[in-house]
Amino acid sequence: MAEPDFEAQLTRLYGEAPSFPDADLFASQISTALDRGWALRRLMIGAAGVAVGVIAAVQLVTTRFSAELQALSRDGARDVSGEVDMLLARVNTMVTTPASVEALWLAAGLAVLAIGFAVTRAMEEF
Amino acid sequence: MGIDRPPTGHDVELAALAAAGDRRAYGELVRRHGSAVRGLLRRMGADSATADDIAQDAFLTGFEQVAEYRGEGAFAGWIKRIAARLYLRKVKREARIVFTDEAQDGDDPAALNEPRTASRIDLDEALKALSKGERLSVSLCYGGDWSHAEVAEALNIPIGTVKSHVKRGLDKLRARLAQPPEGARREAHG
Repeated sequence: MAEPDFEAQLTRLYGEAPSFPDADLFASQISTALDRGWALRRLMIGAAGVAVGVIAAVQLVTTRFSAELQALSRDGARDVSGEVDMLLARVNTMVTTPASVEALWLAAGLAVLAIGFAVTRAMEEF
Repeated sequence: MGIDRPPTGHDVELAALAAAGDRRAYGELVRRHGSAVRGLLRRMGADSATADDIAQDAFLTGFEQVAEYRGEGAFAGWIKRIAARLYLRKVKREARIVFTDEAQDGDDPAALNEPRTASRIDLDEALKALSKGERLSVSLCYGGDWSHAEVAEALNIPIGTVKSHVKRGLDKLRARLAQPPEGARREAHG
């Protein structure tokens, strides 16, 4: 048999995949492994997002954000004119009411969720 | 409730869906090409368990990298290449094969002279007559569509050694595959 003919025959023989009785089982094992890996990845991405969010919230709180916001509000109330002065006075009132600490923690919690969501989406996209 | 049908379409379309995260589309690609990958690894010399483990690793790796497959060639060729590289890495790590330029017997030297009992041409049986180096080289070149240079680079051996392996492997396969089946031989002599 001529060499090119034999090589073509050999290529054809290699191209014929053998049949395996457990072909479906093999495919389902890979699908299961993919599903398991995907679930684990989502869990890790979510955990990483929450961790980043918590760190960001802690940073926000520890930088005396609350005190600076109140100070800015008071300074602003002194400086700006009539209507803005009234608005700032309302904001100032809100910030200085007893509920302000709760509002701050609520905002921090929402920030954690938002950052976690954003990080999760960003990691899934890239 | 609708019937949960497996995705259909050309391999390139399924690969694009898989790149977007569609695991069912990738599962269909596994169903289509799983046997080809497992078969190639066995023909390269891997035992059944090793071949299946590496085929599984190859498909999982393929899912991670499927966005890199642009459809320039057949998906089967792309995934076979990943599988072959994983197997070669394992072989080299375990240093199980010494790639000399000298002629060597195959796993089953008697296979060269055994009469074929099946009427069909059995490549898998014929490959047993090749040495490990010949078997790898021939299978990569003709089953994986690798060039001699690519095989030489992957095995870290001179290209001349690869050509020698391929030449001797082809000679053995030609001799083995040219033998008529035992039944046909009896009829001819009878």
